[in-house]
Amino acid sequence: MNIPVTPGDLLAIGPISVMFAGALVVLLAESIFRNGEAWNRWLALAGFLAAGTVAFLNTGWSGVAFGGTVATGGFANYCAIVYASAGALSVLLSTDYLRKTGIAFGEYYALLMIAVLGMMLMGAALDLVVFFLGLETMSIAFYVLAAFARSQGTSNESGLKYFLLGAFATGFLLYGIALVYGTTGTTSIPLIRDKAPSLIGTPVFTIGLALILIGLLFKIAAVPFHMWAPDVYEGAPTPVSGFMATGGKAAAFAAFLVLFRPEVLGGEKGLRDVIAVVAAASMIFGNVVAIAQSSIKRMLAYSSIAHAGYILVGVVAANATGANGVLFYLMAYTVMNIGAFGVLAMVENGAGENLHFEDYAGLSAQAPVLSLMMALFMFSLAGVPPFAGFFGKYYVFAGAIQAGYTWLAIVGVLMSVVSAYYYLRLVVMMYFTAASASPRRVGKSSAGLLALGIAVAALVYLGLFPSTIIDVTSRFF
Amino acid sequence: METFDIIFYLFALITVGSACIVVFSKNIVYAAFSLLFTFFGVAGLYVLLQADFLAVTQVLVYVGGILTLLLFGVMLTNKVISVDMKTGTLHAVPAMILAAVVFGSLAGLFYATWSGVTAPASSIISTARPIGEMLMTGYALPFEVASVILLVAMIGAAFMARRPKKL
Repeated sequence: MNIPVTPGDLLAIGPISVMFAGALVVLLAESIFRNGEAWNRWLALAGFLAAGTVAFLNTGWSGVAFGGTVATGGFANYCAIVYASAGALSVLLSTDYLRKTGIAFGEYYALLMIAVLGMMLMGAALDLVVFFLGLETMSIAFYVLAAFARSQGTSNESGLKYFLLGAFATGFLLYGIALVYGTTGTTSIPLIRDKAPSLIGTPVFTIGLALILIGLLFKIAAVPFHMWAPDVYEGAPTPVSGFMATGGKAAAFAAFLVLFRPEVLGGEKGLRDVIAVVAAASMIFGNVVAIAQSSIKRMLAYSSIAHAGYILVGVVAANATGANGVLFYLMAYTVMNIGAFGVLAMVENGAGENLHFEDYAGLSAQAPVLSLMMALFMFSLAGVPPFAGFFGKYYVFAGAIQAGYTWLAIVGVLMSVVSAYYYLRLVVMMYFTAASASPRRVGKSSAGLLALGIAVAALVYLGLFPSTIIDVTSRFF
Repeated sequence: METFDIIFYLFALITVGSACIVVFSKNIVYAAFSLLFTFFGVAGLYVLLQADFLAVTQVLVYVGGILTLLLFGVMLTNKVISVDMKTGTLHAVPAMILAAVVFGSLAGLFYATWSGVTAPASSIISTARPIGEMLMTGYALPFEVASVILLVAMIGAAFMARRPKKL
């Protein structure tokens, strides 16, 4: 193999190059300027917007770069757009939160950008080595971000827990990659896909895939690899939780779609059934346990386990409808969940209080706009039409029914009904419960409100015109 | 039993035996020092697999770098030396079942595929040159991304470790 690397390769992976250059600029600005954080939030925002724009301009075509180790355009750029929007929304929602909790350090934005870089690599990877390095880049940035509030015990616990369990899961993933490499003799994902039909049923290949599956299921926090999620999401700074629950999950699902294509999954019936059971267990466990939570942050953590289950249904389907559904769901979930965590971050005070259901009693009278947006996010998370969350569920369940997994779709629909209970409970709290005696101060951040406004607009737009996304994604499969 | 086999079992014994000491020793200094032999044994196994570059890297990076740092860390943290580490076992029964299942399936895998393994080619070729060429051509991107990982790890470590700074 003797492939020269040209500047054209760097241009071809435009969004990733932009992300890396942006992270370096942010780091430089942090060390040069006295108030680096004030500069960095705008630099980071500009970086995410630039990466998103570059990705958007090149969605139409698709090719490979760096000797076929990464894909460019098409699917990779769609994923890049999702991650860049998650990053941009997180920046807008973070600035006020970081200031009021006393952790306004410029490194935050550099870590955010490097995490997005890792996600983009995972979405673009056509080689298991690139995929693994992307996953690690993202994960290391997440470990630090989770522990970013250094003086808070809960944040440290969150970072350490995520780090230890994440390192353990990485071991499984790496062992799986080694076994797959051992049986196929290559780390190139397209070549593995070509060789897969002849290797289906070979114990080493199946166990290799299963170990990779465990590593990915950990990242999306699916049952039974979900133990870390509630503690990590609860302890991490709120905007970080929102970013991890959406971007991190989306990146792992993009890897699912690349690795477990129908060619691979269609033959591995056993593995496919295992994923189906994991999906059902995640939906049931996440939704049922979320009911019992009194902290909204923890409730959203369990709800993210449930949503991982819904999205896995689309992976199990292993057909075009399911895959489109997964991609649509990722976009919708990113917008609505970052929005929900964003509202939490604005209502939360500097000491990490006001995170419980009771604290939201009568919020609508005090902050009507914020309450309305939170209500819309909750409706969308519950899957009420005409918001984006409904169509996400519709496509993944439709894919499952086409693939003959009707029971899975039934479980999903039933569990969506259960989920409506705790999502709507928050709406009832905000609108139909009298405010408690102690006055609460709701943060006013114009950047945050702008981000929430964009999220709501996207939510409604995606809900009313889901075909704009589906038309694009259906060209990838 | 040929000489090759004897050397293999010797290195395997060194690796597994010293790894057991790492896990079971209550003294962190003993544990750190036996880790030296574990890394060394693994390097020996790499040599037997004709992965010469990997073996040298293993010695340079793990024995020369990581372990030295680890020992310095242990020695300079004077409280750690005197304290007995907790090596008790929690959830013994589930852990044993899980370990048995994992070990059983891996052993089964090993025996199922044993017949397909062919002896390595007899002529010894240096792997350093092909690895270097691949890192600069086909695998240029992973090579570069590895530096990004190191960068983010350094930023993270520096951020977590430094003194609280004033805003």
